[in-house]
Amino acid sequence: MSAFIVRRLVLLPVVAVGVTLLIFTLLQLLTPAMRASLYITDPKQLNALPEIIRKYRLDQPIYVQYGEWLRQVAHGDLGWSETAREPVAAAIRGYFPATFELAVGAFACILVVGIWLGTLSAMRKDQVIDHLSRLFSISGASLPTFVWGLLLLMIFYGHFGWFPPGRLGLDADLFVRSAAFHPYTGLMTVDAALNGRWWVFWDAVRHLVLPVATLTFFLTAVLVRITRSSMLETLGTDYVRTARAKGLPEAVVVDKHARRNALIPVITLASLLFVGLLSGVVITETVFNWPGIGRWGVAASQQLDIPAVTGFALIFAGMLVLANLCADVLYAVVDPRIRLQ
Amino acid sequence: MVPVAQRVLAVVFVLALAVLAPGPGARGAGAPPTSPDTLVILTYGNPESLDPAYAYDTASDGVFWPGIYETLVTYDGSVLSKYVPRLATSVPTLANGLISKDGLTYTFPIRQGVRFHDGTVMTPADVRYSMLRFMLQDRDGGPSWLLLTPLLGLDSTRDSKDNAVVTYADAARSVTVEGQNVVFHLKRPYAAFLSILAAWSFVLPEKWAAAHGDWDGRADTWVRYNNPKLQDRYEFNHTNGTGPFRLQTWDPQNNEVILIRNDTYWRAPARLARVVIRTVAEFAARRLELQRGDADVIAVDRPDQNQVQGLADVTVQDGYPTLAVQVLHFNQKIDATANPDIGSGKLDGNGIPPDFFSDVHVRRAFAYAFDYATFIRDGFRGKAIQPNGPIIQGLLGYDPTLPKYTHDTQKATAEFKEAWGGKLWDAGFHFTETYNTGNASRQIGAQIIKDNVEALNPKFKLDIRNIQFSTFLQLTNEHKGTLYGLGWAADYPDPDDFAQPFLASNGDYPKRNGFSDPRADQLVRQGAQTSDPAARARIYRQLTQLAYEDVPGIYEAQATQFVVMRSWVHGWYYNAILPPLANTGMDFYTMSKQ
Repeated sequence: MSAFIVRRLVLLPVVAVGVTLLIFTLLQLLTPAMRASLYITDPKQLNALPEIIRKYRLDQPIYVQYGEWLRQVAHGDLGWSETAREPVAAAIRGYFPATFELAVGAFACILVVGIWLGTLSAMRKDQVIDHLSRLFSISGASLPTFVWGLLLLMIFYGHFGWFPPGRLGLDADLFVRSAAFHPYTGLMTVDAALNGRWWVFWDAVRHLVLPVATLTFFLTAVLVRITRSSMLETLGTDYVRTARAKGLPEAVVVDKHARRNALIPVITLASLLFVGLLSGVVITETVFNWPGIGRWGVAASQQLDIPAVTGFALIFAGMLVLANLCADVLYAVVDPRIRLQ
Repeated sequence: MVPVAQRVLAVVFVLALAVLAPGPGARGAGAPPTSPDTLVILTYGNPESLDPAYAYDTASDGVFWPGIYETLVTYDGSVLSKYVPRLATSVPTLANGLISKDGLTYTFPIRQGVRFHDGTVMTPADVRYSMLRFMLQDRDGGPSWLLLTPLLGLDSTRDSKDNAVVTYADAARSVTVEGQNVVFHLKRPYAAFLSILAAWSFVLPEKWAAAHGDWDGRADTWVRYNNPKLQDRYEFNHTNGTGPFRLQTWDPQNNEVILIRNDTYWRAPARLARVVIRTVAEFAARRLELQRGDADVIAVDRPDQNQVQGLADVTVQDGYPTLAVQVLHFNQKIDATANPDIGSGKLDGNGIPPDFFSDVHVRRAFAYAFDYATFIRDGFRGKAIQPNGPIIQGLLGYDPTLPKYTHDTQKATAEFKEAWGGKLWDAGFHFTETYNTGNASRQIGAQIIKDNVEALNPKFKLDIRNIQFSTFLQLTNEHKGTLYGLGWAADYPDPDDFAQPFLASNGDYPKRNGFSDPRADQLVRQGAQTSDPAARARIYRQLTQLAYEDVPGIYEAQATQFVVMRSWVHGWYYNAILPPLANTGMDFYTMSKQ
């Protein structure tokens, strides 16, 4: 197992170099003037364009630019992000906790709801609960997230005033910026709990509810359907029939014999879902004014912020490799028949 | 025993109640503000830098001016033609002798007892340092030209090869300290100088700047601090001004700036204790926060105006003329090299010659073919006026009685028939007009001129191409533009800021478009150097008339602006030069919530 993990980790720098090289190459297809758009905001800067191209070395050959970037990375410097107005590494450190907090919250809900509903649908195949589950999945996946997001926002914030957008309310926001609050992790709920400030904790939770609900509703559908079909397949196998014939309670048959074995495709899907959530859920972040990494990534791409896009891709590639590794390890955990050689 | 599912449900219910308990519920009409001393502004532009010598965008300037950094003099509320002292104790005039009779020397007695936010006392030396720093930092595309031009007669400290073209001695001579006064020595008389200083003479402490790695004010070191990158300066995200508010936080990740009241301000402290400026990209979220009373002022685009109109306890004030103009430019000397936009490059119906627009009849024909009313209706939802030239409403010399082009197909046809010695009507033309990607009003303008011109003669063909902004700017700079849409917004409320870039042959647009008229050059020069307002107004009226005759461009629209805020916000006034934060600029010092 450990050899397998090491092999996968060795792959990480190879993937990182490949991804960043690809991005650099693609960006070279754009003219230096287009890439200079990052530094140009007004017609009055027109005459400065050639100087800007020279200053930021946008007219240099790709190997020079990439070589310089690699040298920087070797010194632990991912460059400066003009869109974030700070070093890329600092931007990632700053944006990632918000996304991570949202992703973990949404992922937990998606897993619980998806596996529970998928299992229930399989056990009550073609009954009312199965039809309702199908309706829930289809409606959740068929409407765009911004529609759900805005609807939820209008009802639960605009009308009831319960769950506001943003990450914190004004009072909590001002408090966490004061010396009385120590930010340990950047995760608002965790930091509030560690500081013992429960009113800040609840404020953070209130702000998490709607984006998490939106993502859960939108992303649960696939997990429900995969769990259902996988469970149906497993429930029809000989060993499940044997378990039932032995007279085991249905809960034990489902929980220990069927579901555990049905989880393999679910794990695969879940790992990809989690990486997707971590790489940013741009629309949800935008609708709820959630300061996550996805919005920054999109802004950086739109403005051709090369260091930011490259740094973002680097981190994303790393996460993808690690998520796949976790999924592989989990396969072995849930199904001892799988041996990692 | 209670089943597991029921226990889970009970826990979820209790948690939900706990979460919901702090919810404010619906706020009734007429309810008082929840945070009466905090002004919350929701906008959608992020500041670039808080360094007053670097920032040249409204999202940045609006944060630090006039709240954090103050100028020597400033505008008298909404009135742009009248100044009041701020860090100076008097407004220089010819009458009080603080402007020399030759118009070359401006003396500012500096206010005593003013403290920076770090507690140090402001001195005339700090004022001088700040002015020199503003000029000599001179980053690419930055605001330094605003002082370099009147004081040194240059618009940059570097030539095209990045070599310094000014010396420290030149700069030092242009701003001197005489006792408690700071004296500006102009290269030549420059009537707009006071209006420039009213918006661009920010003062920060020399020792504080130098202690944080900035220029130390010495003659032999300034070149090292010239043309910095954004992140090179401590002042990029730290401030130390004299204004009624100081920076508490600028958090780019959470898109939030928080200013807190400067309780040791030299005037009476502001009524607001705090100003929170948040970037919220999604309009629906901004509107809901305004509706709930969690935001006090929000940015609203014109197309969304209907959605805030009629909201309870929300005020929408409309109809403020902006100092900005949208123009369709004619390039009279098109560079034909590898230029796909001019087709064959000949007057053969499949292209246009590079000097196609040098014929004034062509320009007039296009000006008559443009439907101004439709453009204003579709591009600005009717909230704009048609200017009669580059000297727009609100500027000295604007005269609504002067002629302007109207949509007139007969006149357009007549002009086209006269153009190019009568050959154009028979030969026809085909070229591509351009605008920058994403600019909806320019796209509408391009479509209007295309439709109207093509309707006059089946041999007239126009294509439309949108180009990414920086590439678009580069192409126009390289004289590759044909007919293209680009605007201009005021840096200072003086007609010189419009006459020079639009009509002087060394101005931004004439250089790009090959426009040159010696009469215009002379008038622009006279306008800049004349100090008598009545005489200046006459000059700018002449320039408007000249622009009508020469038609260097089609002056399409001058938009009006509106502001959306909770009714409990008081003390706001409109000033067309204050950098817009949420549709318009804001002087937080005069504002309050009641």
